Amino acid sequence: MKRTIRRLATPGFLFGSAIVLFWVICALFGPYLEPQNPYADDLMNPLAPPSFAHWFGTDQIGRDVFSRIIAGARSILSVAPAATLLSAVCGTTLGLITGYVGGWLDAVLSRLIDVILALPLIVVALVVLVALGPSSLNVTLVIALVFTPIIARTVRSAVLAECKLDYVPAAQLRDENALHIMFAEILPNILPPIVVEVTVRLGYAIFTVASLSFLGFGIQPPSADWGLSIAENYGLIVGGYGWTVGFAALATASLVVSVNLVAEGLQDALQ
Amino acid sequence: MLSAIPLRARATGRPGATIRVASNVPAGAIEPLTISEIGGLTMLCQTGEFLIFDDTDLILRPSLALAWTPNADCSVWTFSLRPGVKFHDGQSFGAADVVATMNRLSDPKQGSNALSVLRGVLSPGGTKRIDDLTVRFELDAPNGNFPYYVSSDNYNAIMLPANYAGDFEQNFNGTGPFRLERYAAKQGASFVRNPTYWGKPALPARSEFSFFTDQQPQLLALEDDQVDVIVQISVQGAQGLLRDPDVRIIDIPASTHRQLHLRCDEGPLADKRVRQAIALSLDRPGLVHGLFQGRARLGNDSPFDPIYASTDRAIPQRAKNIAQARALMQAAGHADGFETTLTTERQQEIPDLAVLVQNACAEIGIRVSLRIEDSGTYYGDAQFGRSDWLDSPVGITDYGHRGVPNVTLAAPYLSNGAWNAAHFRNPDYDRLVATYIAATDLVAQRAAATQIQTLLLEETPVIIPYFYDYICATGASVTGVAVSGLSQIFLQDAALA
Amino acid sequence: MTQAATLRAVARRAALSALTLLLLSMVVFAAGQILPGDVARSILGPLADARAVAALNHQLGTDAPPVLMYGRWIGHLLRGDMGLSYAYRSPVAPFIVNALGKSLLLAAVTSVIVVPLSIGAGIIAALKHGQWQDRLITLGGLSLTVVPEFVSGILLILVFGVWLRWLPISANTRPGTGALEQLRHLILPALPLVLILFGYISRIARAGMIEALESDYTRTATLKGLARRQVVIRHVLRNALLPTITVIAAQTSYLLGGLVVVETLFRYQGIGSLILTAARGKDYPMLEAGILTVGVAYIVSAILADVIIAVLDPRSQAARR
Repeated sequence: MKRTIRRLATPGFLFGSAIVLFWVICALFGPYLEPQNPYADDLMNPLAPPSFAHWFGTDQIGRDVFSRIIAGARSILSVAPAATLLSAVCGTTLGLITGYVGGWLDAVLSRLIDVILALPLIVVALVVLVALGPSSLNVTLVIALVFTPIIARTVRSAVLAECKLDYVPAAQLRDENALHIMFAEILPNILPPIVVEVTVRLGYAIFTVASLSFLGFGIQPPSADWGLSIAENYGLIVGGYGWTVGFAALATASLVVSVNLVAEGLQDALQ
Repeated sequence: MLSAIPLRARATGRPGATIRVASNVPAGAIEPLTISEIGGLTMLCQTGEFLIFDDTDLILRPSLALAWTPNADCSVWTFSLRPGVKFHDGQSFGAADVVATMNRLSDPKQGSNALSVLRGVLSPGGTKRIDDLTVRFELDAPNGNFPYYVSSDNYNAIMLPANYAGDFEQNFNGTGPFRLERYAAKQGASFVRNPTYWGKPALPARSEFSFFTDQQPQLLALEDDQVDVIVQISVQGAQGLLRDPDVRIIDIPASTHRQLHLRCDEGPLADKRVRQAIALSLDRPGLVHGLFQGRARLGNDSPFDPIYASTDRAIPQRAKNIAQARALMQAAGHADGFETTLTTERQQEIPDLAVLVQNACAEIGIRVSLRIEDSGTYYGDAQFGRSDWLDSPVGITDYGHRGVPNVTLAAPYLSNGAWNAAHFRNPDYDRLVATYIAATDLVAQRAAATQIQTLLLEETPVIIPYFYDYICATGASVTGVAVSGLSQIFLQDAALA
Repeated sequence: MTQAATLRAVARRAALSALTLLLLSMVVFAAGQILPGDVARSILGPLADARAVAALNHQLGTDAPPVLMYGRWIGHLLRGDMGLSYAYRSPVAPFIVNALGKSLLLAAVTSVIVVPLSIGAGIIAALKHGQWQDRLITLGGLSLTVVPEFVSGILLILVFGVWLRWLPISANTRPGTGALEQLRHLILPALPLVLILFGYISRIARAGMIEALESDYTRTATLKGLARRQVVIRHVLRNALLPTITVIAAQTSYLLGGLVVVETLFRYQGIGSLILTAARGKDYPMLEAGILTVGVAYIVSAILADVIIAVLDPRSQAARR
């Protein structure tokens, strides 16, 4: 364990963690950090360029962009982790079942998983959100729905490898029931790859939530969500009002890259 | 010979140019009966013509009809038609075509978009051919403004041949100064000069339309000199272009507006004091400045735009007054406020307006949550019980420009109005609107208008915060482009200097 | 692997893919059934008379049992009839074909840019193994794979389109513009997709290069007097092509999703933006056809990749001799 922690302390992992931590703090303590109310309009001062009064300028109805960037961390950091967690639980269960029990259940589910994976996540999400209507809850469910088979696949491979080891047949000889073997015996041994996979999925969850907001199928106004801000304001780039989208883009990029650096660090350390 | 185009827009540019236009992509098939959005209606008026042209000063000018006279109570109108007009396929235009076209438009079984205008005014069979160049309209009820109903305001009402077979998209067969060269769905269309036009031949040899899904690429295309004209610009997003000295801006005051409806039949909003309080919380000059850079007029919570001749401009303009608003909320027993949901569509500046309304309501204690949907979901089936628009407690709906307020006074406010999202039921109002519609002259209209405006200010079933201008942009060297407040564009006098 | 074995493997893969395709069509059809909205109402519009709506519904057979409707749908599809668009009241197939062509063009531009760029970067990273250039390319590449396309797109637009004005912002050109100019307009839209693929391909090229640098083959060849660089580069290029194809095939589904975002950002009328417009406008025939097309494209590209690899794989070539 101690060796793992020491191996984690690479520049990439530390840098990534620092940025993620920064945004988590913004998400948790936003209202205390925002210099101005991110939702207050100022119709006399729309589209003002960055200045002392507004460090990142104002948007189309005069709201302070800097405050909105800080406030936006909360929405993306509530949906994405929730979706990832949900898919982790479902995917692990599904992977354990298909890997351990096998048989026709495994065959059928594998075919179904192939079909879902043949379609881009964004496209599947679009169809489901058209049916259910866009909302944070539905976005969470859709992403969990599509990530579950991906995680299940990884878990299934790991389970298949474990089943070749001695302790599994030994447990079967002891007449332990299947549930016990799956969750008490196998699961603890395959935690490291699951942790890595889940962290990587978190990065893609953030990616997908932001993209769905950009396409207009995610978080709703007046949220300061970064993807939504970009969707609302990218028509203004032509007029030279780049600050309304540039900072949100940089914020999103910094968050996804940092999460990925953390995932890479974890993967290197746990192997 | 009178032309369909207002005299002042006629220029003496060089003939033979190809005018390149950027316009919105039509949302569906180019079928005159069913078109209901800007992209489509812009296509219709390229080759099709109306009986009457409603000019930018809201004065009617003869087009396919030369003159129109009512009877004593304006329940029967007689139109004399222009002689010597031919359709592009060679057929002559006459009364039979007018009868067939109007019957088609007013027939509920055909489901035309024009029903929203003609229902209750003109029914199938009400249009009668007197002789080849005379048509008589026998209306369902007296209507002093009837000519507007068959003018270019009613953008579906281009005159089609009596034997029209539903194939407009293939041939764009009409009577206009241009005929179709090519139409490619979602991409564009091109038109060429009609050599057998009844009026002065079109100046340009050709016009080319490119379709765009939204504004930014159109602005870029004008900047890069890929197009000469952009049909319509909304101020939001075009702030840079509006300052550009190489761009000519055509700015027409229009009655395009938003209706913020407040349901009068349930909940805290049933009390008119609450509705008045909400109306008093809005900073209307701020909205005009912030959202439109001043290119709009203040709305006073009635469809009576200051540009209408019949509007009573002496009625005091409602202004933001938070103290009075709070007092009204208290008197109504809602000092602590309440919660409600504002549902609306994602269209131009409406989402921004929704956020601003949300902020304004917060000042008087009303906690508004927003639901912004795409237009299709918002309108739903456009029936009560199956439409977010008509069922929501609070909503914002877009209303296009019209030359007279008849339609906007009726459908959204009448007790049996098809668009009555506010569920407003006021017999006095119904009576006053019937008086206005039946009024045979301007004086009578103004008298009714005064009473209607006062009543609506008092009851406030709908908040109308502004009426905004129609803006078109062209390159600096382009002249002679004519427009209407409905985003119809007419290129017969256009030229590149 | 012998030629016969290769063919058998490919045939098995094709059969499995056909099964997946069939299942996919069922899933897409089922999804279409549960989507909200009345078919005839969507076609005729909100203002149409209720009787006209009922009549059209009956005429279209929307009240038939789902299995029958599915059968009809598949039958039409196999004949190339993708149904009528609700919005345009004209056949869906031409829209799909047109949009697919545009997306494939964008994909081609992307490939032309990304392959030399990433393989070159991978080679440089391997040659400077362990130094700052290597770390920059590796870490940078990896980081870029997770940046959403619209984020990198916006930043690229702001830098190269608005600030430096080197590249045009709009993906569209007037009809009649020269081919070169049209391609120039596709560079900015291709770049976000390039950045996503860059990390994966450069990593593989780098690994292959490092392996090649340390292999016996290299030592033997250099002993024979050939320049080390030349030997390695020829060896790597031959071997990097295969994994590159694998990577692109593996990322196809991901990229097709990326097309939706990129085409929306740059207003490019490809298959991605067609699907989005159909989803927003509830034009279900268009949406179903679009999704099926994307799924088929993915499956076809996977089979194609398998075939190309089977043909080009030096191990199978050796067996054939």
